[in-house]
Amino acid sequence: MKNVKEYIESGILELYVLGDVSHDEKLEVEAMAQAHPAIKAELDEIERSMELFAGEHEIEPAPELRDRILNSMVTNLADDRTFRSKEEKAAPIPEAKVISMVQPKNNDFYKYAFAACLALLLVSIVALVNVYNKLQDSNSQVAALSTQTQQFSKTVSYQNEQLNIFRGSYKIIKLPGTPKHAAASMMVAWNPVKKNVVIDMAGMNLPANDAEHQYQLWAMVNGKPVDLGVFDAKPDSVTMMKVMKSVDKPQAFAVTLEKRGGAVNPDMTNLTVIATI
Amino acid sequence: MLGLRNREKIAVEALYDMYSSSLYGVIFRIVNDTELAEDILQETFVKIWQSFSGYSAEKGRLFTWMVNIARNLSIDKVRSKDFRNQNKNQDLENTVNLIDEQNNTVYKPELLGIKDLVQKLRPEQKSILDLVYFKGYTHVEVADELGIPLGTVKTRLRMAIQELRKNFN
Repeated sequence: MKNVKEYIESGILELYVLGDVSHDEKLEVEAMAQAHPAIKAELDEIERSMELFAGEHEIEPAPELRDRILNSMVTNLADDRTFRSKEEKAAPIPEAKVISMVQPKNNDFYKYAFAACLALLLVSIVALVNVYNKLQDSNSQVAALSTQTQQFSKTVSYQNEQLNIFRGSYKIIKLPGTPKHAAASMMVAWNPVKKNVVIDMAGMNLPANDAEHQYQLWAMVNGKPVDLGVFDAKPDSVTMMKVMKSVDKPQAFAVTLEKRGGAVNPDMTNLTVIATI
Repeated sequence: MLGLRNREKIAVEALYDMYSSSLYGVIFRIVNDTELAEDILQETFVKIWQSFSGYSAEKGRLFTWMVNIARNLSIDKVRSKDFRNQNKNQDLENTVNLIDEQNNTVYKPELLGIKDLVQKLRPEQKSILDLVYFKGYTHVEVADELGIPLGTVKTRLRMAIQELRKNFN
C-alpha cells in the first residue's frame, strides 16, 4: 500500500493524463491502474480535474462551424468506407495494366529495331559482295579490252606498213619457179630509196621446208650473190610479211634451199625461184 | 446504409455539442488564431471519429483522450515552420499574458466564476500548467526553461492539479 501511495505522489499519474510519458511509462501506469483500484480512482480524479480545467477555458465556437464540421465528419466517414474498399481493389489493377502495356511495347520496339538492323546488315553484305564481283568482272573486261586495243593498234600499224609497200615507193618483183620447181613462185618488194626488202609470206607458193633446211633469199649485186636472210615456208603461215636485210642496187633476186641458218654461198642446185629486175 | 449514416450523424452531433466548446477553448488558447483554431477543431473531430476504435474506456475518460488529440494537433501546428514564420518567437511570459488578455473579452459571464478559481492557483503552479498544457512542453523541458529540478516540476504540477481538485470538488 505504501508503494501505491508513493507511486501516486510521484506525479507520474498527472504526466500520464497530460500525455507527457514514454511508451513504457504509459504501459506501466495502465498496468498499475489495473492492479490497484486506488490508482485507478486517483487517475479518474486527475482526469476530472483537468476536464474541469479545460471546461474553465471553454469558448463557444462560431455557430456555422457546427454544420461544416459535422458534414466533414460524416462525409469523411462515408468517403473513407467507399474509397478504401475501392482503392484496395482498384489500385493494383491499373498499376499492373500500366506495366503490361508499356513494357511489351518497349520490348517489341527494340526487338524489331534489332531485327531490322540485322536484316539491313545482311542486305548490305550481299550487295557489297555483288558489287565487288561486278567490279572484278569490269576490271578483267577492261584488261581484256585494253589488250584487244593494243592488238588492234599493232595490227593497224602493221597493216599501215604493209599498205606503204603498195603505195608506189616499193617495187614488186614476182619470182617465178625454176624448171625444177615449176609450180613455185613468190613476191619480193624492194624500196629503191630506203633499200629495204620485204617478202610476201601469205602469197608465197614454195614447197614446205623440213626442220633441217631453210629457204635463203639472195640478191645479185654486180654479179655476186648477197645474203638477204633466211625464212621458213609454211602453208599455214599467219605472218603476212617478213622484212629481210637491206640491199642497194640489186640486179636479181633468188631463193635457194639451204641448211638451217643459211649458207655463205648459194647452192645453185637447190635454186627454187629467181627473177631479174 | 442510410440508417447507419443517420445514427452516425446523431452520434457525431452529440459528440460535437458536448465537447466542442471545451476543445475549441483549449485549441484557441494554444494557437491564438480564430481561423486556425476552427480548422484544427474540424481536424480534431475528424481524427477523433476516424480513430474512435483506438479509444478504450478502461484506459481513461473520453474527454482526456479527445483533448489530447486536440492539444497534439494544435501544438504540432504551432511548432510547424509555417506557423513560426508567421508569428516570430515571442517571449514565453508575453505570450501567456497576451492570451489571458485576449481571452478575457471572449469569456461568457457565467464562466467568470470558474475563471476566478483558476486565478486562485499560485503563479508558479499556473505557469507550469500553462507550459505543459498549452505550450506542449514536457516536464523535462519545463525544468530546463524554468531552471528548476525535475522533481520540483512534478511536485508543482501535482500541487496545481490538487488545487483545482479542491476547488472543483
